[in-house]
Amino acid sequence: MKNLIKKLVESIGPSGYESDVRRLVQEEITDFADELRTDAMGSLIARKGTKKGNGMRIMLSAHLDEIGLVASHIDEKGFIRFSTLGGVYPRNCPGGRVRFMSGVEGVIGVERLESSEHNITIEHLYIDVGAANREDCPVKIGEVAAFHRPMLDLGNRIAAKSIDDRIGVAILIETLRQIKESPHELYFVFSVQEEVGLRGAGTAAYALDPELGLAVDVTLTGDTPKGPKMEVSLGKGPAIKIRDGRMLSDPRLIQHLVQAAQNAGLPYQLEILEGGTTDASAIQISRAGVPAGCISVPCRYVHSPSEMVDYNDVQNAVKLLVNVLSNPIQLDKSAA
Amino acid sequence: MMEISQFLIKMLSLPGLSGYEAPIRDLLMETWRPLTDDLNISRLGSLHALHRGAGLDSRPCLLISAHMDAIGLMVTGIVNEFLRITEIGGVDDRILPGQRVVVHGRRDLPGVVVKPPDFLLPPGKGGQTVAREYLLVDVGLLPAEVNQVVRLGDLVSFGQEPFELSGEALAGHSLDNRASVAALTVCLQELQHLKHQWDVWLVATTQEEETLGGAFTSPFEIQPDIVIAVDVTFAKGPGVNEHTAYPLGKGNTLGWGPNIHPALFHTFKDLAERLEIPYSMEAMPRHSGTDAYAMQVVAGGAPSMVVGIPLRYMHTPVEMVSLKDIQRAGRILAEFIARLEPDFLNKITWEDH
Repeated sequence: MKNLIKKLVESIGPSGYESDVRRLVQEEITDFADELRTDAMGSLIARKGTKKGNGMRIMLSAHLDEIGLVASHIDEKGFIRFSTLGGVYPRNCPGGRVRFMSGVEGVIGVERLESSEHNITIEHLYIDVGAANREDCPVKIGEVAAFHRPMLDLGNRIAAKSIDDRIGVAILIETLRQIKESPHELYFVFSVQEEVGLRGAGTAAYALDPELGLAVDVTLTGDTPKGPKMEVSLGKGPAIKIRDGRMLSDPRLIQHLVQAAQNAGLPYQLEILEGGTTDASAIQISRAGVPAGCISVPCRYVHSPSEMVDYNDVQNAVKLLVNVLSNPIQLDKSAA
Repeated sequence: MMEISQFLIKMLSLPGLSGYEAPIRDLLMETWRPLTDDLNISRLGSLHALHRGAGLDSRPCLLISAHMDAIGLMVTGIVNEFLRITEIGGVDDRILPGQRVVVHGRRDLPGVVVKPPDFLLPPGKGGQTVAREYLLVDVGLLPAEVNQVVRLGDLVSFGQEPFELSGEALAGHSLDNRASVAALTVCLQELQHLKHQWDVWLVATTQEEETLGGAFTSPFEIQPDIVIAVDVTFAKGPGVNEHTAYPLGKGNTLGWGPNIHPALFHTFKDLAERLEIPYSMEAMPRHSGTDAYAMQVVAGGAPSMVVGIPLRYMHTPVEMVSLKDIQRAGRILAEFIARLEPDFLNKITWEDH
């Protein structure tokens, strides 16, 4: 699976510009899906199986897009000022390398700050592509870039840009490949524009009208020096989301996922994330409402160019998903 | 007729935090069943109750919502025998230390919110309101016992008992928004002896305090022609701006602003004047802070209205309302319903004056 992850994280697809990543995913899953389509927003939707007996129509969602930058101004000396696509933290930018969709690469520089007390903002930053002046600059206003760097394989752990949420994409691809028998009609949605407001998942959920929704995305951890007070760590298993900044997971689904993990002897953690959200929150309020939850991959340094996950957590997330989706799902009313 | 204060106290004694409304929903089902023609539960747990109109086959349909979910806390970690917490809905950190709570673990545990002494806080954090990340809940058990009974994600409700005050006032937690659920119940009681043409769906919504989840989804299923949200609003009290609060016990507020259909505001205003029910106009320049914000734009959209019940000390365990204002809200809703003509929708246009 590491090769798949490497391919995914080393491709570029900021929100609204997911074509390259979509093509890559399409190649990977075309032999395993019963039906494949790209919707009006650009989300890739793969169906596997049909509803049998007590099966459900289930939407799974992992987002294709990543945070990125848009060139907004090029000055006389050829320096590029930029605006952001999604939640780019200015403090994570200086010294970073970026790659435009055209293939042009550059580095992010920072103006000299007036004092050490000064916080870096986007206004202090610029991209230097090595141009001598404006005429020499190969980038035009409106061109889109993403962080650029190769994946770092640290054995049990992997660091790369856009682990958020290519790791979810990789998990869904692997799950789709491994599922043999299922009573459910499964829709694997590789959604667009998550980082700018869960926009692809919302429209896909409306179109698919699922009876159950499950996102696969990253979550923060509390296991780094002076990190947030949060009981999620790398390597202790995939996290079953209880809540995040914009969603309370369906308690019946939480109970089902916990039970499934316990029965299968898979490690898991319970996740309470105080900020941020996932595609699941858009699915939950779609149409007349959809019971929704999320399986999260614990990830350090989210929205930086070096996001880190544990490879065992990734593999266990696949095992949990394959297990859950291969069996009937009963939502126990008493859990609500 | 049921004594509304007793019913309210019964509601306040039940948990039902956002996303976990089953306990309060069960009581409402039991109370509303004999008063309604049909009951069902949405996929997100909202309770839908139909009071059928007497009109022709293709009756228009009114949806009145009051959210039944309450704010509270959730366990995010266990530190020795103490529990770390986060909020569900907006909880004011300033009032937390010293509060009695109930931790809904494998069994219910009484507990208290405690703050560390100032000298144990990081430099600069002492001598002021202690941030929630430093607060803990003590349930009085030993570490091993706590780990058996409590786990991450367990809910924590306020433990303050509701109580009646002189002057027909009631204080307690979760009056936001169970005061409005009580008003819907008063409305249902009134409808038992009123004739009406429209179908009326009373909806006790879920997750208002977090995501407006119930309000975004129930109208999609019910497809109402008009939506009304009943919710609490700020009553005048210590430290509250005169111009953004309304007197307690002196009538309901009627919402006005882009979240409100002007013709519905005027219909309610005229009705209040005719029935001699006191009211205040409540300007809602943007988000009304109610279910109406979501319901107005579900699917193709619907004309919307907000009826407010003034409440003091919002989002604390001693919220305070006037029982009279609850009765008034129930009555004006019922009278509005009784006067709804089959072609009412054709007569209203968006005239913003």
